[in-house]
Amino acid sequence: MATSFSTPTTKSFSPTPAWASCLGVVAIVFGVFLTAAYGNEWMKQAVITQSMPASGEMPAADCPEEELEEEGISLAECEYMVSHVEGIALSTPDWFPSVQMGLAFAGMILAFISIIIGGALVNHTSWASSSAVLTFGALVLVDLLQFAAVVNAGPILRDLYLWNILLWFVIHLMMTTGAIAGRHSEAGL
Amino acid sequence: MQRQGYNRTAVILHWILAVSIFFLFVSSWWMLGLPLPSKELTFREFPFQLHKNIGITLVLLLALLLYVRFKHRPAPENSSSMKPWMHKLALFDHVILYVLIIAVCVSGYLSSSYTRWDTTVWWLVDLPRIAAPDEDMNMFYSNIHLWTAWALLAVVAVHVTGAVYHAFRNDGIVRRMLRW
Repeated sequence: MATSFSTPTTKSFSPTPAWASCLGVVAIVFGVFLTAAYGNEWMKQAVITQSMPASGEMPAADCPEEELEEEGISLAECEYMVSHVEGIALSTPDWFPSVQMGLAFAGMILAFISIIIGGALVNHTSWASSSAVLTFGALVLVDLLQFAAVVNAGPILRDLYLWNILLWFVIHLMMTTGAIAGRHSEAGL
Repeated sequence: MQRQGYNRTAVILHWILAVSIFFLFVSSWWMLGLPLPSKELTFREFPFQLHKNIGITLVLLLALLLYVRFKHRPAPENSSSMKPWMHKLALFDHVILYVLIIAVCVSGYLSSSYTRWDTTVWWLVDLPRIAAPDEDMNMFYSNIHLWTAWALLAVVAVHVTGAVYHAFRNDGIVRRMLRW
């Protein structure tokens, strides 16, 4: 049987229904992962864009023996690292980095908010379930916009991103549905 | 009345540390695939410097978290929620987490100290060099950094599993770290 916690003075928290506790902790765990992942994506686009030579031509790889040993890579791998970045840059439409950075930034903020929302669900605050629907729904929207962007970005970027975006879309859709179902069950619908 | 959960500062610090640690993992896997640095190839410059900055900040935040935790101890959790072996596992997991976070950050800093790359904290303060470049010492601390990082990831997985377990049990344990 769940232990009910209530705090003194002005705020009191009712016992948390099981759906809210489960959805809340899922939101928190995924929120932590996704905040980090979106933050990394934002950084990736910024670094690739700003570090590419102005001429658009990548210089030759610099692969000293001691660096190869330290990194635990072969000469071929070291040279491929340059080709890999060059290939991604070649495959990226001009509009893609700024669109991706914008969506990654929005996603990062929403993912961080979902950590707070998750905590509110576990604490069963009055504003938790409506905020959950809005936040998880907004994450679904970000996923859809990213999906649309990547679909139009060419085969290399589709290979890199599309499956990952689809996975997060399904997760966020399920979380949004769970929040709506929870609200309905509380309203007796 | 003794508070039921952790102090709010401890809660905020905990979640900042959690997001930062995951970001360091995710970003390190990406940045190690970037071209090796040269005069023309500067892809690694920003991510590596950011990695070091966050690592240094993490140690300071952890020190603050530990101070706050011991100064404002929460009430013991409801003993019926936790069997004795769970309580011991949780305590062990927490201690190992703190030790590993410090070990990862310190070994990373030491590894970096033996390279030719300087460290500027948040691009504002130059940290003085503590040693001349030394490939063997760099590799030594780099290996410690790598293996303690993997161990940290494993212990974090146990930590998260425990939290999810208590959340699904709905026994109020997780609420102690969700006080905003």
